Amino acid sequence: MTAATARVDERVAHVGALRRLLLRPELGALVGVLVIFTFFAAQSDVFRSWAGAANWLDVSSALGLMAVPVALLMIGGHFDLSAGVQTATAGLATGIMTTYWGLQLYASWVVSLALMLTIGFINGFLVTRTGLPSFIITLGMFLGLQGLNLGVTKQVTNQVQVSNIDLVPGYHALNNILASTVTIGGAKFPIAIIWWIGFTALGSWVLLKTRFGNWIFATGGDPNASKNVGVRTGRTTIGLFMMVSFMAWFVGNTQFIRFTSIQAQSGIGQELYYIAAAVIGGCLLTGGFGSVIGASLGALIFGMTEVGIVNVGWNSDWFKLFVGVMLLLAVLANQFTRRLAEQSRR
Amino acid sequence: MRRTWLVAATVVPMLVVSACSSRNAVNKPHNNAGGGKGGYGYKIAVVTHGSAGDAFWTIVQNGVKQAGKDMGDTVSYESDGDPTKQAALIDAATNAKPDGLVVSMANPPALKAAIERAEKAGIPVITMNSGEAESKAYGALSHIGQDEVVAGRAVGTQLKADGVHHAICVIQEAGNVGLEQRCGGVKDTLGGTVTNIQVDNNNLPAAQTLIKTKLQSDTSVDAVVTLGAQVAQVAEGAISQANSKAELATFDLNGDVAKAIEQGKIAFAVDQQPYLQGYLAVVMLTLYKSNLNVLGGGQPVLTGPTLITKENAAAVAQLAAGGTR
Amino acid sequence: MTNVDVREIVEPPKADPPMLEIRDVTKMFGSVISLSDISTTVQAGQVTCVLGDNGAGKSTLIKILAGVHQPDGGQLLVDGRPARFSTPRDALDAGIATVYQDLAIVPLMAIWRNFFLGSEPTKGWGPFKRFDAGLAKKVTRKEMGDMGIDIRDPDQPVGTLSGGERQSVAIARAVHFGARLLILDEPTSALGVKQAGVVLKYIVQARDRGLGVIFITHNPHHAYPVGDRFLLLKRGRSLGDFAKSEISLAELTRLMAGGAELEALAHELERGTGDVGEVGRELLQDTETLS
Repeated sequence: MTAATARVDERVAHVGALRRLLLRPELGALVGVLVIFTFFAAQSDVFRSWAGAANWLDVSSALGLMAVPVALLMIGGHFDLSAGVQTATAGLATGIMTTYWGLQLYASWVVSLALMLTIGFINGFLVTRTGLPSFIITLGMFLGLQGLNLGVTKQVTNQVQVSNIDLVPGYHALNNILASTVTIGGAKFPIAIIWWIGFTALGSWVLLKTRFGNWIFATGGDPNASKNVGVRTGRTTIGLFMMVSFMAWFVGNTQFIRFTSIQAQSGIGQELYYIAAAVIGGCLLTGGFGSVIGASLGALIFGMTEVGIVNVGWNSDWFKLFVGVMLLLAVLANQFTRRLAEQSRR
Repeated sequence: MRRTWLVAATVVPMLVVSACSSRNAVNKPHNNAGGGKGGYGYKIAVVTHGSAGDAFWTIVQNGVKQAGKDMGDTVSYESDGDPTKQAALIDAATNAKPDGLVVSMANPPALKAAIERAEKAGIPVITMNSGEAESKAYGALSHIGQDEVVAGRAVGTQLKADGVHHAICVIQEAGNVGLEQRCGGVKDTLGGTVTNIQVDNNNLPAAQTLIKTKLQSDTSVDAVVTLGAQVAQVAEGAISQANSKAELATFDLNGDVAKAIEQGKIAFAVDQQPYLQGYLAVVMLTLYKSNLNVLGGGQPVLTGPTLITKENAAAVAQLAAGGTR
Repeated sequence: MTNVDVREIVEPPKADPPMLEIRDVTKMFGSVISLSDISTTVQAGQVTCVLGDNGAGKSTLIKILAGVHQPDGGQLLVDGRPARFSTPRDALDAGIATVYQDLAIVPLMAIWRNFFLGSEPTKGWGPFKRFDAGLAKKVTRKEMGDMGIDIRDPDQPVGTLSGGERQSVAIARAVHFGARLLILDEPTSALGVKQAGVVLKYIVQARDRGLGVIFITHNPHHAYPVGDRFLLLKRGRSLGDFAKSEISLAELTRLMAGGAELEALAHELERGTGDVGEVGRELLQDTETLS
């Protein structure tokens, strides 16, 4: 390609490094994180201490672990409203199989994984086969699992929780892998935070650096166009739903191991926070664009807000109001940054 | 490819079955105490304000079911935390023409009309748990149980005796009237500061961190009051992780709470005997229909609050684990 | 003086079978006859134009060639041998690349991601297989450059390119992936005059590289300059399959415009008053000059 033969398109302006940075979907979330951190750190020394950081990172990690596959799914063009209750299903399944039916702990882990992957497969299969909006199909799954979680638990245990997992053989090894802590600066950081960072990195790598990631963007951006060039949109969609279910299994069971009991109604309401974290992180509701790192930053915003409010001593009845306002501000900041970045192109 | 599936389909179930062992089954499945040969055959409808996954109301429901078995009655249990919906459930129960109706009144004015309609249709009504003040005025036969405020006051009194000045009251379901009443009761008798904090019962891991961070931010807190047994368990972890000396007290029991009281990790639990409330409500209606017996002498029949402390925790631990206390 | 057939001098006798032959193809959807006995051929290095107004059956024909639908009658022959395309992948494997009207391009994705969509190059092995982004960006810039566009920033989302540039991305993609036959579905229909000219230039470039091209359009003024063969469709039937030497632009336009029907319409409109009458009179003049 020589200068003589290549006609230079005068409209393709040279894009500087800084502008390129502004265009990244994560940027809005990063700005949000910095603003929220500064806000609460200035008002509470507990918030900015090592112990405080352990607290808000802990809360963020539970949300963040699930936000990773939920973000991937949203980029792929779909929602999963059953993501929250699936965490309960996973933990309850393990608990009931082990402590009531006598199955060995590791075996029930594996069976519960198979169960969750099947649920994910069903979600994905129904979405691709029927062509109905994933919102509706997963809403049905959400209600169904909610009923199942409560009904089966009550039937088997006569209560609304399953506990005593710490009394079964094999518990301690799992506890050390999944529920131990790392001490930094005198404060104990749960190991779930490391898992969260690891899965975020993995999710981001899959999205940005692999062929499957390209298919995720394409299936979400324009499923028809993708199908026409040979992208396996059906497989991609089903795979994404199964990823959400896999993470629900991981999170549900690690929480169960860590707290040694699980409530039948656990996880209800969380699915909206996962979606909110993904949206704050730059994922478009219509699909085709977004970031896994952004979603994790979005989860961090939620965690910092939730803990920060308690640290500064605000009346906790107003908690949900604060969270709602924070969410709106974060999304607006995101919008604003993107518009700014895009205008720089004109 | 097919052969792999066939092999898997045969081998995996065998592995699964071989992994079963009674050493893993640390929880015993619910054992129904044998049904009594009551043979009364009445239809009793129970409509409460508990929410679906609430541990306290599940115990009430267990009591109702067992009483039905023992008395030989057919019992139905419906609940909804929203008073408008609860009123609709009462009307639906009335239309099914039961022999008796049990209602818990967290919001008495909202339910008044529906209760009076039931009474006009000739259905005897007993109120339970909340609403003892309005019970007689609405025409109910008797009231069993006591308002949550009463239980709250008992907690406050005990905490005061223990020298507590600043307690945090952990509300795990926003807008739940019963929970707000419990915290209100504590505030009435403590004589110090009571701060309410909101957590989500559906997200207990986060609840633990929030309680922990509250203890770390405000070192004047010397007691944590939880309003449910599940929350008590995570609060215990929060207190120890925060290296706090705060005392932990809770409402309601379960197996783990009873154990924790034995071990001194929880100072005491307030037991309102929800099983008794549910069970006796059904029995009272049965005896009224068969023998025109009325319990209480015009006064509410109280089922508590009893304080479960280190002295009596061991005795109730097993029962609590079975969902009857 | 020997009798020399002028046509034999202009068109040398064909020795090789055509790259693609469509023979008596018929397609029905339920009771609706979408295509009926359509035949034409495409040679390597030549452009066959498929012309027709809306509803003529052009889209159905493309979908059959692209492997989305299967014909109910007739057959397709590739290099003289019968071929059956059950899926779009089959057509792609036979070297037939289709550039759809909606371009099969995902607007939010970067140019290099779109370029290799469905055929991503990978680096590494096993679970560490990566999408070779470096290679993808390099190839994208080169191929676009060969089309005459300098993409300084291949990360630019395709949605920010103009209509003509997007066409060139789609065409460059098809050419790069070893298409032997390019099917372009109404590439100029949504473009302005200058942009349309640019796309026609791309078509000629592809042709000159030895590809066969099927160019679908409803505009005879775009088709005639670049076409070597013309197939006219009207309501699922063929009005004729002509070599360029057999038909003039005027005749092509007249056939497409519907000849007699258009005259009748023109007479009707001419009787109207004001603007409608004006249009009618102009139309009448046009039809008279064409016939």
